[in-house]
Amino acid sequence: MFDLLAYDFMQRSLLAAAMVGGLCSVIGVFVVLRGLAFVGAGTSHAAFAGVALGYLMGWPPLLLAILFGLATVWITGWVEERGRMKLDVSIGILYTTTMALGILFIGLMKSYNAEVYGYLFGSVLSVTPDELRIIGALSVLVLSLLLLFAKELYFIAFDQEMAEASGVPARQMFFLLLTLVALTVVVSLKTVGAILVFAMILIPASTAYQLTHSLTTLTLYSAFIGITTSVLGVLISAIWDIPSGPAIVLLATAIFFTAVLFSPKRVRRAEVVHSH
Amino acid sequence: MSPDRIMESVSDGRSPIIRFDHASFGFPGLIALKDISLPIYDGEFVGVIGPNGSGKTTLCRAVLGLLPPVEGHLHIFDCACNELRCHHRAQIGYLPQKGVVDRNFPVTVLETVMMGRYGALGLLKRPGKKDRQIAMEALAQVSMESHQDTALGHLSGGQQQRVFIARALAQQPKVLILDEPTTGLDITMQHNVIELIQHLHDELKLTVLLITHDINMIRSRVDRLVLLKTRLYAAGPPAEVLKPEILHQVYGKELVITEKDLVIVEDYHHHH
Repeated sequence: MFDLLAYDFMQRSLLAAAMVGGLCSVIGVFVVLRGLAFVGAGTSHAAFAGVALGYLMGWPPLLLAILFGLATVWITGWVEERGRMKLDVSIGILYTTTMALGILFIGLMKSYNAEVYGYLFGSVLSVTPDELRIIGALSVLVLSLLLLFAKELYFIAFDQEMAEASGVPARQMFFLLLTLVALTVVVSLKTVGAILVFAMILIPASTAYQLTHSLTTLTLYSAFIGITTSVLGVLISAIWDIPSGPAIVLLATAIFFTAVLFSPKRVRRAEVVHSH
Repeated sequence: MSPDRIMESVSDGRSPIIRFDHASFGFPGLIALKDISLPIYDGEFVGVIGPNGSGKTTLCRAVLGLLPPVEGHLHIFDCACNELRCHHRAQIGYLPQKGVVDRNFPVTVLETVMMGRYGALGLLKRPGKKDRQIAMEALAQVSMESHQDTALGHLSGGQQQRVFIARALAQQPKVLILDEPTTGLDITMQHNVIELIQHLHDELKLTVLLITHDINMIRSRVDRLVLLKTRLYAAGPPAEVLKPEILHQVYGKELVITEKDLVIVEDYHHHH
């Protein structure tokens, strides 16, 4: 295993996995608490359609992924704010539409393009130095914004109307959160793939949710779980020669179910019931 | 009673901090409150009553600046309500109706109360020692300081209500708005919470707007009662508002007035 660590590609992919794992799991806290899980899923498919269009037209795929992702979250946020349509309906329609577009763009390509499929299923082992730099820059950007506006984002996740009533610019913060979700999805596309990125956002935060009642602790636990499972997942994937995306996600899922089984919240609840 | 008379009878020359001026709220075709003219003065304890769906919560949201009037005007702290800035909103503490927020949200008591500081602090400022101190004082005011690290979801309904009142107090507000603060609590807790609100009004000289369906619990405590059913039916001292002929107009047959002068609305019988 230590031989593996000597390879450049291995160091790159471990670094990429750690950054993506950390980023997804931290934004995941806000996504889970604000009830935006499905938005994350929809965005990842929209971003994939952007990648496919990029390869089809010879435009920069990541740029188009960002544009498609942002368009999706902004439309979703606008629809929710107006209360015109239930959020799950609007995102469901966008989700399937963008996926259809993605498939259409692939179909229009003259030849089979393995790189496009890399974005769909994730191929962290093939991350290039350039991509690593983009991942690093976007991670720093997203994490700094999360840190700067953490108190407002926690508040709107708890109760958006209450936040607005008590003087927090809640609507702007909601759109900031949506934007950060879109950027995170794009950053993660290459590593875990459009289909599995959603799990990377959802699972670490949901696992941490089982383990604590404090917001601060929840975020720290989530980041720890996210980074650890991503790094271990990549190692497992390299050692046993299995695809990296599924390795990370299945490992995270296993930890999630272990946490559910041993959740102090469940134990505590049983005690509370007992004491009455 | 006409709005002009209300102004004369209570104003004592003070200017109102909240002023509804022929204001209507809702959407075109679905008006929740119509033609409301009502001043609320600094330091007043005002009870807002009315049947279900009479626009009580709409009145709350309006004063919070969340809902601009579709007609007429609403001034809060001398600002038109659509010009209300975040720092104005921070001066109004709000206790929303129970059940609006997820009470199993993973958050501790102190973290919840600290949120009351966020709006007042403004963007890009991290809460510091002073904010923590303000939050702890707010917790002490509702006698919950020993629970600061407890998970919110582990508290009883009455205790959670106290924590949310502490969050409103942590804003160091001038006005406190409470939307049905006693709903879902047992009768002892209901009295405790109302007494706490009275205490805060007396002690901190807060202007309190208390929305409730429990007329008897507040009638002896408030300076004024506001009776709503889409329109403003009456506003004035409890003795003037709680007259059978006025109440029957609003509550209809569901209202019973007992010999001891208790007002019972049939609709809410099962709560007591």
